[in-house]
Amino acid sequence: MATEKKEVTLSATVEEPLDLLRLSLDERVYVKMRNDRELRGRLRAFDQHLNMVLSEVEETITTREVDEDTFEEIYKQTKRVVPMLFVRGDSVILVSPPIRAS
Amino acid sequence: MSKRQNPAEFLKKVIGKPVVVKLNSGVDYRGILACLDGYMNIALEQTEEYSNGQLQNKYGDAFIRGNNVLYISTSTK
Amino acid sequence: MATSTSTNPNTLLPLELIDKCIGSKIWVIMKNDKEIVGTLTGFDDYVNMVLEDVVEYENTADGKRMTKLDTILLNGNHITMLVPGGEGPEI
Repeated sequence: MATEKKEVTLSATVEEPLDLLRLSLDERVYVKMRNDRELRGRLRAFDQHLNMVLSEVEETITTREVDEDTFEEIYKQTKRVVPMLFVRGDSVILVSPPIRAS
Repeated sequence: MSKRQNPAEFLKKVIGKPVVVKLNSGVDYRGILACLDGYMNIALEQTEEYSNGQLQNKYGDAFIRGNNVLYISTSTK
Repeated sequence: MATSTSTNPNTLLPLELIDKCIGSKIWVIMKNDKEIVGTLTGFDDYVNMVLEDVVEYENTADGKRMTKLDTILLNGNHITMLVPGGEGPEI
């Protein structure tokens, strides 16, 4: 694109928050979701609602249990791998792209 | 007494500055406010995630979905 | 009589009341029992508000917590009630 900017700093290329995701297409991203879920996967597509398609996804679910005897809080992490996944935007809290070389 | 300042003016003033973004869940994000849109979707740089005042995570860049945002505050430190 | 509230000079539109609060303390009660007190410096059509000299009151697992903040832009989405004057919650 002829109008594309040459600057490399984030503030110069990112004019609106969704640009951050545009720059992360086909990269591996971290997604923090509601209900204590986290996803790490390759961002294949997204829309203005933050609906996303991720591939090669690792999902981490954190659950909290209280030990009945000691009342200790135990955090359990369950992981699973999903080859291709659609994420509904309304459950997304945060998306972090891979650290770009500055 | 400082003068009237509506949300748009406040935002113009804080872009590029360190801010604290607090979510409804109580989690805080501290970082440099890169930009935001009408939904209060936010792009932060040099982001640190705090839960109960304790640093949980660091992200180079972070996109925060606006519906989770409680407030954006000028950073106190 | 079906008088529109906007044409009756004796009634105040809700947002006109808030506009009168600019420059004074206001108490904001959020949907999730958080409460915020601060000096209102401005707001927009969504009732997103800019507040100064803010105190945030929240109930956490370790009891009630107060946080002082400088200037904030409060998301209007999660506001339930606004109280002009705003002495804040009893602690």
